Amino acid sequence: MRSRTKGFGTFYLSLFFVVLYFPVLSVILYSFNSSPSTAKWAGFTLDWYRELFSDGVIGQSFKTSIQVALLTSVLSAVLGTAAAIISLSVSKRVEKTIQGVMILPLLVPEVALGISLLIFFTALGLPFGHLTLVLSHSLFCVPYIYIMVQLRLKEIDKSVIEAARDLGATRGQTIRTIIIPLVMPSIITASLLALAMSLDDVVISSYMSGPRSTTLPVHIFSMMRVGVTPKINALCTLILVGTFFIVGLGQLAGKKNRIKEEF
Amino acid sequence: MKTLRRNMLAIPIIVWIGLLVGTPLIFVFVLSFLSRDNLGNIVVAFTLDNYKRIFDPIYIRVFFNSFLLATLTGLVTLLIGYPVAYITSGLNPKRRAVSIALIMLPFWLSSLLRTYGWIILLGNTGIINNILVGLNIIEKPLNMMYKFGTTLVGTAYMLIPFMIIAIFNSVDKLDRSYLEASYDLGAGRLKTFFNITIPLTLPGIFGGFTLVFIPALGLFFISDLLGGGKTIFLGNLINTQVTKGRNRPLGAAFSILMIVLVLVVLFIYSRAAKREEGGLFQ
Repeated sequence: MRSRTKGFGTFYLSLFFVVLYFPVLSVILYSFNSSPSTAKWAGFTLDWYRELFSDGVIGQSFKTSIQVALLTSVLSAVLGTAAAIISLSVSKRVEKTIQGVMILPLLVPEVALGISLLIFFTALGLPFGHLTLVLSHSLFCVPYIYIMVQLRLKEIDKSVIEAARDLGATRGQTIRTIIIPLVMPSIITASLLALAMSLDDVVISSYMSGPRSTTLPVHIFSMMRVGVTPKINALCTLILVGTFFIVGLGQLAGKKNRIKEEF
Repeated sequence: MKTLRRNMLAIPIIVWIGLLVGTPLIFVFVLSFLSRDNLGNIVVAFTLDNYKRIFDPIYIRVFFNSFLLATLTGLVTLLIGYPVAYITSGLNPKRRAVSIALIMLPFWLSSLLRTYGWIILLGNTGIINNILVGLNIIEKPLNMMYKFGTTLVGTAYMLIPFMIIAIFNSVDKLDRSYLEASYDLGAGRLKTFFNITIPLTLPGIFGGFTLVFIPALGLFFISDLLGGGKTIFLGNLINTQVTKGRNRPLGAAFSILMIVLVLVVLFIYSRAAKREEGGLFQ
């Protein structure tokens, strides 16, 4: 009886993962199909990848996406970490206020946030492009960094900080030499998450893109609306590889720090 | 005095986010009471017309569609996700870590890629139709794209990791000795599941439902790509009014409505979570 339910459990879980990854794997597989239609498999080709690299618009939007994502993750890492560290020393009421303000961008639906920013930036007369993209992306990245760094801060042994203070370190020195190094793994993981979120955002970016600075997802979205082409498959596959690279980097950074801590 | 000075440090952060989220929301709120001229320019004249138009049967329908989609997405992800969370929490540590990693991994994958995967699978010349026709199970390709159900599949697929993680956190905290006690007292597996396991994991169920319901209201690109714009949802409507319809005040009014809807859901959730003690934002 028990082993039968266990067998069913394994079966259900496997089936679930097959369904979860089947669409993704199909996209990858058909990026190598030499027929432009998914109707038949006509043999292996790398033509669609070649076509991608000669497409100037894709190259341009890729560049925009990378620039925006890097700026966003640096800005968000600084702001999110600062907010988390400041939360340590403020009064309970102020801490609650910070938490409330942080959760706000996550509660407002993306469409609503996107159009409210569109209306706001139009009223301010800001030019749409890199600036508006980075500002808006930082809104949904800062809260995640804040939450992740704060979780790590709670794990820190308070006596370490007290010891530093007793030995005469100033607040600034304690933060620089004790707190920041201890939360560094979380900052790195959170920044990479921010990088991935910024690279992936469609909804808010579609309102924030300027005439000469469209992000890659916004461009892909417009391609997808026109129709299915293996070029999109190839592009999605490359993005996937890029994402795995970022995730792998994050894992590596985490592991390295963990090893350091053990000694 | 010292704490006061330290509290001051928090001001820039609060202002930064408050200014970038709060002010735009105030703008939208004000805009939702303004009108526009025939060219789409905004006219500063107070009106309640935008809100009155919400009660237009066409828009009521849109509202209903969105509510239905979000609710069904919650139910579908719950029914499929609950067993996944439950089974995962019972695995040995090594397999458990693999399972959790596989559940979380899609978060890192582009949401457009995941939606596009369904276009490739469900299209008239898509992979599922090819297989079915190839195996002579059906003669003509099935028409699976551009339906309400297609949008539901895409939305549920996109959001199910949230549901599973929320339930997993709850199931994992479950004290299994309660289950043993229930078995010892003669209750069967089903009875134990419905009388003990489900009530004890309700916080996770409520939390997951909230985490899925809110984004399901606004993911307009999924219904654009998979639904083909045939069924109109709140997100699509706002998007079209603002970008193509040139009726920003109406789009603003619908955004406010959407935010109110989210607040109502959160209010219900926080009441439920308080009763169940514990939740997402303890």
